[in-house]
Amino acid sequence: MSELTYAKIDQTVLDTLRPATGAYWFTVALLAAGILGGLACWIYQIFIGIGVGGQNNPVAWGTYLINFVFWVGIAHSGTLISAILHLFRAGWRNPIARAAETMTVFAVCTAGLFPFVHLGRAWMVFYMLPYPNQRTLWPNFQSPLMFDVVAISTYLIVSSLFWYTGLLPDLAIVRDRSTGLRKKIFTILSMGWTGRMEQWRHYVRGYLFFAALATPLVISVHSVVSWDFALGVVPGWHTTIFAPYFVAGAIHSGLAMVLTLMIPLRKIFGYEKIITLDVLENVAKTIIFTGLIVGFAYGTEFFIAWYSHNSVEIAIFKWRALGHYRVGFWIMVICNTIIPLFLFLKRIRRSIIWLFVISIFINIGMWFERFVIIISSVAHDFMPHAWGLYWPTVVEMGIMVGSFSLFFFLFILFVKHMPSVSMTENKEVLVQGESHGG
Amino acid sequence: MKRRNFLKLAGMGSLSFAASACTSETDKTIFSLVQAPADMVTGSPTWYASTCRECPAGCGIIAKNREGRVIKVEGNPLHPINRGKLCIRGQAVVQGIYNPDRIKSPLLKKNGQKKNSQWQPISFSQARSLIQEKTIQAVQNGSDKVRMITELVGDSQMTLFTRCLEQFKSKDPIAFEPLAYETLKTANREAFGIDGLPSYRMDKADCLVSLGADFLETWLSPVEYAWQFKAMHAVKTEKKGIFFHISPYQSLTGANADRWIACDPGKEAAVVMGLIKAALEQGRGSGLPQSLVQSLRDASEGYTAQATARMAGINPKDFETLKSHVLKAKTPLILGTGAGGGAFQADLAANMLNLVLDPDLALFDFDHRHRVERSARRSEVLDFFKSLSADAAKLLFIHNANPVYALPHDSGVKETLTDDRLFVVSFSNFMDDTTALADLIFPVSLSLESWDEYSGKNGIISTLQPAMGRLTEAPHIGDLMLDVAFKDDQPVSDYKAWVMTRLHSRGIVKEKNGWLKALQAGGVFSAVSQAVTRPRLLESVAGLFKTVADTVEADPAKPIFAAVPSIRFFDGRGANRPWLCEIPDPLTKVAWQTPVLGHPETLKAAGTGHGEGVEIKTRYGRVETIAYETRQVKTGVLVMGMGQGHRHFGRYAENVGINPLTLLSTKTDDHTGAPVFSIIVTDFTGTGDTIPLAHTDGSRIQHGRKIALSVPLDQVIKNDDEKTGHGESLTMEGFPFTLPLPEGYDPKRDFYPPHGHENYRWAMVVDLDKCIGCAACAAACYVENNIGIVGKDRIIEGREMAWLQVERYHDPENPEKITFFPMMCQHCDNAPCEPVCPVYAPHHSKEGINNQIYNRCIGTRFCSQNCPYKVRRFNWFEWEWPEPLNLQLNPDVTVRSKGVMEKCSFCVQRIKVAHGVAKDEKRDIKDGEVIPACVQTCPTGALTFGNLMDVNSQVRMLTQNRRAYQAMGYINTKPAVIYLKKVVQEFS
Repeated sequence: MSELTYAKIDQTVLDTLRPATGAYWFTVALLAAGILGGLACWIYQIFIGIGVGGQNNPVAWGTYLINFVFWVGIAHSGTLISAILHLFRAGWRNPIARAAETMTVFAVCTAGLFPFVHLGRAWMVFYMLPYPNQRTLWPNFQSPLMFDVVAISTYLIVSSLFWYTGLLPDLAIVRDRSTGLRKKIFTILSMGWTGRMEQWRHYVRGYLFFAALATPLVISVHSVVSWDFALGVVPGWHTTIFAPYFVAGAIHSGLAMVLTLMIPLRKIFGYEKIITLDVLENVAKTIIFTGLIVGFAYGTEFFIAWYSHNSVEIAIFKWRALGHYRVGFWIMVICNTIIPLFLFLKRIRRSIIWLFVISIFINIGMWFERFVIIISSVAHDFMPHAWGLYWPTVVEMGIMVGSFSLFFFLFILFVKHMPSVSMTENKEVLVQGESHGG
Repeated sequence: MKRRNFLKLAGMGSLSFAASACTSETDKTIFSLVQAPADMVTGSPTWYASTCRECPAGCGIIAKNREGRVIKVEGNPLHPINRGKLCIRGQAVVQGIYNPDRIKSPLLKKNGQKKNSQWQPISFSQARSLIQEKTIQAVQNGSDKVRMITELVGDSQMTLFTRCLEQFKSKDPIAFEPLAYETLKTANREAFGIDGLPSYRMDKADCLVSLGADFLETWLSPVEYAWQFKAMHAVKTEKKGIFFHISPYQSLTGANADRWIACDPGKEAAVVMGLIKAALEQGRGSGLPQSLVQSLRDASEGYTAQATARMAGINPKDFETLKSHVLKAKTPLILGTGAGGGAFQADLAANMLNLVLDPDLALFDFDHRHRVERSARRSEVLDFFKSLSADAAKLLFIHNANPVYALPHDSGVKETLTDDRLFVVSFSNFMDDTTALADLIFPVSLSLESWDEYSGKNGIISTLQPAMGRLTEAPHIGDLMLDVAFKDDQPVSDYKAWVMTRLHSRGIVKEKNGWLKALQAGGVFSAVSQAVTRPRLLESVAGLFKTVADTVEADPAKPIFAAVPSIRFFDGRGANRPWLCEIPDPLTKVAWQTPVLGHPETLKAAGTGHGEGVEIKTRYGRVETIAYETRQVKTGVLVMGMGQGHRHFGRYAENVGINPLTLLSTKTDDHTGAPVFSIIVTDFTGTGDTIPLAHTDGSRIQHGRKIALSVPLDQVIKNDDEKTGHGESLTMEGFPFTLPLPEGYDPKRDFYPPHGHENYRWAMVVDLDKCIGCAACAAACYVENNIGIVGKDRIIEGREMAWLQVERYHDPENPEKITFFPMMCQHCDNAPCEPVCPVYAPHHSKEGINNQIYNRCIGTRFCSQNCPYKVRRFNWFEWEWPEPLNLQLNPDVTVRSKGVMEKCSFCVQRIKVAHGVAKDEKRDIKDGEVIPACVQTCPTGALTFGNLMDVNSQVRMLTQNRRAYQAMGYINTKPAVIYLKKVVQEFS
């Protein structure tokens, strides 16, 4: 980072805010169309009934919950990178922290839509709110779905605030360098940040506390999501390993998504100097670690099923690996645990193309992990007479495409109109680099 | 704008907003009667006793009328035939009245052209005068110009038809039943001199052998025989009757046998001959005339055990077992062949064996013969159609008969009916295959809308009365016939008077109020029987024993195809009832489709397999259908159920399924006049397509999960059976039996404290030893609880809505050993569905019931995911009840909208009614006062419902039974549905 200067960092980042090209707006329009398509599918579903999806008896949960868990998982590593790594003083997280946090916020937003899409009567969702009413009805706080409501909304609030706090000094920089309408907007957004000593003192303290506050959420959110399954009696779900297993899986998928987003971003915006190969390599190393945890969890599940002597449990795991959805299972195993092992090779770890390809594989693998967990367990649970299969329909696919569109739509709007790399934090590294000689 | 105008406009605006906002809602306008009929009280039902006319058995029913419309029928508890129970078809009777495809007014073919299928509605009076005109014309042309074919009707109606045809100078009408038991009748004629069908006292038998007689499904009187069968076959303290079923395929009846002996088609007689030989060798039959014994001895000489087994294609060991049990039995009973099987030799041999074993025929009841014996033989029916053109008949009346569907294509019936010289009037409410060829359709009132009388058995007169107001103007056929035949000098004022006069003149109704008494009770059940013909043994029968067991043509290289009557559609008349289509076949678990059943080897030989399209060709026709692989059919046999594949029969039956009868030959047996329901297949090949089967079962076996359990009889007797669920551990093997009461909780096992219940804890006991798998309970549940019909495609998607399913589990080693397992919400005390719902929609009531609060449900479906029994049903769509099917909906039960979960409620509406009555009378609900729909209809009494908190209640006592266990109790759900293990007998 030695060639970087304060000015260079500012310039690189501010250059990304220049007026966009036609190709950019075309992409935005394409994604907007995707969102509209998904929305149309949802509206159709509301009018006709959930039956337009593929869910049935026994598989009453389908891609809506798969995508919910998938997006919550993606939302994970943002806070991990910005909060936990901040507390650990891992300087390499600074160039990617902003984008990762943005990814978190938008992924939580996307994930948060799926429970609504999933509901049979989405228009009655307010029944889940603990509002006082004449009939003295109250939501059931024993239900893991209520845990979910609390956990996800807390996570959304905290991660957005944390993200916005981090943005403040950068917003002020943009304000200072712009004119006209943009200046007005950024004046409001930057909330009167002047960069006085006083403000910096409070800011640094506040940011640190925020990081400390957000850290437990990283663990809790996905633990709570895992309890949607682990608190059920369904074989293949009812296991104590689920919370750590889900958290590890979430981080695994989140880190992969960071790579998937960062590699093109770095290329398009010319961030090569800021987001160096070393940064990406560090992400890759973490992926090796989470991949090993996930692989260990897969193994443990099988071991416990065997060790329990519970024939129902044994049958479900056998069926996962060899039954109707075995392709999904092996995609999951190969993509999540075997392919990341290639990152042990330095050559691959430092190859942009390889990193990108592997990150895509992990994303696919993690989607299938949720597919395998959610679908296969209930498809073949206790009652053999009730066994049945599930396959998503066009409507579900439409909503899924819509969700991906929504996420990327929000993300590319952000990166083009807001500083997608933290200028201040990277300057901090620069200062540390100078003062500590490293 | 003035204030007043503003308010007006604002009011209008909000009104129109309100109106437009609820377009999917039902009518908001409710009209109340200013002066209601005396017996109609809004909110409480009125019951009218009547008779079920869905098959010739003649079960008594009581029809539940709410606010002027019949919403359900139940068995008449006073009726001696069905004792308050009904089968699946009886439950579906109301879908006949409310069928959306019911013809409302007479229809006339336009321009009088047969080929032109354009129908023109005309008024009832126009149609009446048209018939009158046609009869006058026909009568002017000479005698025998007006002919009639009717379904089997009661004595009063048949006499009326006869009298009317006399009036038209024509021959007697003919009663057509596709399943007319010709061979059985002939065998009785040859042996006993009675051309009829005695009833049997199966309950008195200790060893029952059926030669394919499917008496639990369609044979003669299935509800009655189901009860009788379980009276002999359900386990008692010391013993259990024995039942062998000998047939090329295992029907539902066969599935209930202790052993199904798979024989080659048409070779049942050989088995019986072998038994006769063995019995004679043992010295039985000493009371019989010497000449008969001698000829039996001669005829059966070749039937040694080995020869019999070889000839019949059965396992010699099976024959030995069968022989030893039949000969050991004190009161054995051999039942002839089934409705479809129809081999005269087997029926005759069965009669002889019965005689040899019991010369007094104590288990035959010739006093109460089945009325179906009055239906014409198939050969007579064919002759009837031939005679139409021979006699140059001008006018043909068809009353609720569907010969075009039921007779094979080459019978020529179609051609006869479409002959321009014959004017065909169909008195049918449905556009069936025969009606479609008529010139005039004149709908007449259905059985639940009519005054009438019917006796399913001699000596049991069952009355019919209108149980509801009229939906159409259709008159009773009796009134119409009286009017047309007698014009101004009618012998009686109307058909009701005719029925009353007839009953009076026959001495059945004596006192003045006798008719009213009969109506209230549903009939006269101990009517003096007319001079009964006693059976006398005809010695001439001995001469018939020459050609036994050579009756069915066979070609070892080609499979034999057999069409069998269906428990759901009977002979096809039930096919337009959506409930009957939707409830899957008890054995295949396939709904809406007609697969062909074949042994894996048979299918493999044809290069096809389970779920693949196949083409079956015979000399007379070809069909394409789906193969269903099962070991319940002997190799080389293909079996298909009758009843579907109508070309016309309304939206639920048209082009649904396949009609197997089109493959058969019209040719009838020379001796008996019986149709042959099996035929050699000339070509059986796979089409190569895979067709999704609309089946509701996931796995055919239970994977050792302690779901449907059974216990050997000798262990029950010795009391050393392993009591399931009486251990102390937490494993699948040793988990204790945990009643859904506070005593079922143990802090070592249970995290949460027990539920407190106030006075009542409702529970059900299901005796698997009594369950025959007939699915009458499932049908009753559909009727009572407004359960949606989803159709074939949705069932393929796995979205059937049945609250109660009879699960069918095969033994993994011996697939012919089958356990039927009624599965409904278990109303667990520790219900997995309850804690996971975020809004408390599944709610545990203080009486222990797991209530589903529909309007609280937001549709997360978590409850269904977490239900280990998978009994919850989600409303994936808004289900439809095309008008007027919606009139059948039970007003006590909410009709669920899309997006909510539903499931068995233990018929909570009935519990509520009982609460109301008990409260009025200031007492507690008595044991047996609450009867859910499924419990009510179970023909064998396998289900018991009651209050577990009452230590003297029947359910509580049954939980003490050593056979009691809970399905997958090891999940610690503490289900309130307690099962009693099936008791099986193993014969070495």
